[in-house]
Amino acid sequence: MKPLSVKNIRKTFTLSRKQRKIEQTDAARKVAVDNVSFEARPGEIFGLLGPNGAGKTTTLRCVATLIRPDEGDISVDGFSVLTDAGNVRKRIAFLTNELKLEDHFTPTYLYRYFSRLHGIDDDVANTRREAIFKRFGIDKFAEVKVADLSSGMKQKTSLAVSLVHDPDYIVFDEPTNGLDVLTARTVTDYLQELRDQGKTVILSTHILSVVEKLCDRVGIIIDGEMKAMDTLTRVKAASSDGELETLFFDLVEASAGESHA
Amino acid sequence: MRNIWTIFRKELYRVFSDRRLILMIFILPGVSIFAMYWLIGTLIHNQMEAVREHTIVIYEEHMPATVRANLESLADLDDPITFSFLDDETYDLATLKDLVREGDIDIALVFEADFEAKIDDYHIDDPPVVDILHNYGRQHSSFAYNTVSSVLETYRSDKLLGRLENPDHALIFASVYHADDIVDERRIAGQGLAMLLPFLTIIFLFSAAMSIGPDSIAGEKERGTVATLLITPIKRSEIAIGKVVSLGLLTLASAISSFIGIVLSLPRLMQADTNNIDYAIYGVAEMLLILFTLMATVLIIVGLIAVISAYARTIKEASMLIMPFYLVTMIIGIMSSFGTEPSQSLWVHFIPIYGAVNFLNGVFVFDYAVANFVVVVATSVLYTTAFVVLLTRLFNSEKVMFQK
Ligand SMILES: Nc1ncnc2c1ncn2[C@@H]1O[C@H](COP(=O)(O)OP(=O)(O)O)[C@@H](O)[C@H]1O
Ligand SMILES: [Mg+2]
Repeated sequence: MKPLSVKNIRKTFTLSRKQRKIEQTDAARKVAVDNVSFEARPGEIFGLLGPNGAGKTTTLRCVATLIRPDEGDISVDGFSVLTDAGNVRKRIAFLTNELKLEDHFTPTYLYRYFSRLHGIDDDVANTRREAIFKRFGIDKFAEVKVADLSSGMKQKTSLAVSLVHDPDYIVFDEPTNGLDVLTARTVTDYLQELRDQGKTVILSTHILSVVEKLCDRVGIIIDGEMKAMDTLTRVKAASSDGELETLFFDLVEASAGESHA
Repeated sequence: MRNIWTIFRKELYRVFSDRRLILMIFILPGVSIFAMYWLIGTLIHNQMEAVREHTIVIYEEHMPATVRANLESLADLDDPITFSFLDDETYDLATLKDLVREGDIDIALVFEADFEAKIDDYHIDDPPVVDILHNYGRQHSSFAYNTVSSVLETYRSDKLLGRLENPDHALIFASVYHADDIVDERRIAGQGLAMLLPFLTIIFLFSAAMSIGPDSIAGEKERGTVATLLITPIKRSEIAIGKVVSLGLLTLASAISSFIGIVLSLPRLMQADTNNIDYAIYGVAEMLLILFTLMATVLIIVGLIAVISAYARTIKEASMLIMPFYLVTMIIGIMSSFGTEPSQSLWVHFIPIYGAVNFLNGVFVFDYAVANFVVVVATSVLYTTAFVVLLTRLFNSEKVMFQK
């Protein structure tokens, strides 16, 4: 299995009048991600740490082939998101809370539906479904419509559905956002389990403790730019007092100073 | 192919597993149309009954005895028409006009004093004359006029026949005329349908597609479920085809529900002219032509609505953007249904929707060319393909799919 590598990607959005008002800017374009590169390797969890609006979701959406970087490229298992998006999609799972499941269907139906769209045989799909539904406690709610599930159960169903094809690359945007402690714990435990199976895991977060608990390597992204990247231990070592938090706030302050200057 | 089938099945399951949607898409259109037309038909029926039951107040001068006898004999019909003759008084023309205008008299027939003598001794420069006074603005009067006219017509043709030296000639003439009549009747029966059905059906198709298309595509964007679909490795063209075909089938089923509603209620609605409409005048060939033309039209309509729904950000926006196209379709339907005879020009059939409605009109009056059918179906496939290509592009466009 090859690493997932992001090479010098840049993504710019054209702002609508409404967006310009929200962002309080006159600029017609917004650089969301600027020359970002990193590599996530099999058997490790790579964390993308940054404040709100830093460009984390945009970066991960580029990885997931939902949007295309203007410049640079991303390679997943040797396939380029620009020229081989179909092969990339076969190999990755992408999770974010903006990806929703249709209210009307049950977890069982959706699992089967997405299995088929991934070309998984029904037999294989059934075996996998039983295992993962049990693992997340979805089995008791397998025939309940998504609309009637608790938000935690919805999130777990989304996770299960995103993994129908047992992919080697898992991309997870803000995995614990909006989850109660118990569900969050189930999810983070599972991410570690996937890592231990040798899969490549990328997650984004604005919560320092998530990085400290889960990640092997971390990249700190602020204002669309990658400000620091290394193993967690070495990033911490670069901080004045050995704390991730100190380094993070120093970088945020430095960046704010830059943009005011 | 397999992915198209998977999407197709899921879209159908979405509808068929939802009692509310089944009711809205398949039951309600048919039932409400039936109820509406039945009600209108019943109202017309009651009004006609009232007119028929009314005793026609008739004034006459010098009416030939046979005419009077014929009018009086109408009281013996199963559905009797009765007259009350004002025999006691005589009015001048001006007074009569006032009385008819006010509705005190339904109809006045003033025959010349020597009317019958003039018929027997006919001179072209001095023909027998009858003044008929009636008032189209009054239902009783206009019904009286229609009734009296047909009795007078019978009287006239009897007199004409009496002039022929050999009555057998008349018989031969009549039977030839009769043979012609059969074809004509089929055409006439069809004409009523040709006016209403294609227009109504296209409108029903459109509103059915409008009630499910935006939800299935713009709705998925609005609810954020389309991204979940877009990160699977299936081709965007497969999503487009799966959506269009499933929407097409649902739309067709919904339109068929409306269609059944019309077919069942039309006899009631059209009884003004005929007591029952004989659909059996149409053979298997016509039925198949109608079905295929409808299917071709459904695809165009659904393709259009799918493209608009994919472009729109929300269901509401989609419905708004579809509105102008709905109006244009209505106008097309009205133009080709209430206009002149269906056109047989090949070129007309290249125009989307208009060509199909025109062709349907032709089928209903048994006046159609197979070449036109081929053009309607072939162009529909072409237009739909163009819509699917466009839809695929929209699904591929991150701006359209994820604009905020
Ligand atoms: N579709 C879009 N159109 C315009 N601007 C966008 C769009 N998506 C993101 N942005 C902008 O790009 C920047 C980065 O956003 P995002 O990647 O969502 O940040 P994060 O996930 O780190 O909070 C933000 O300023 C955001 O407003
Ligand atoms: Mg984000």
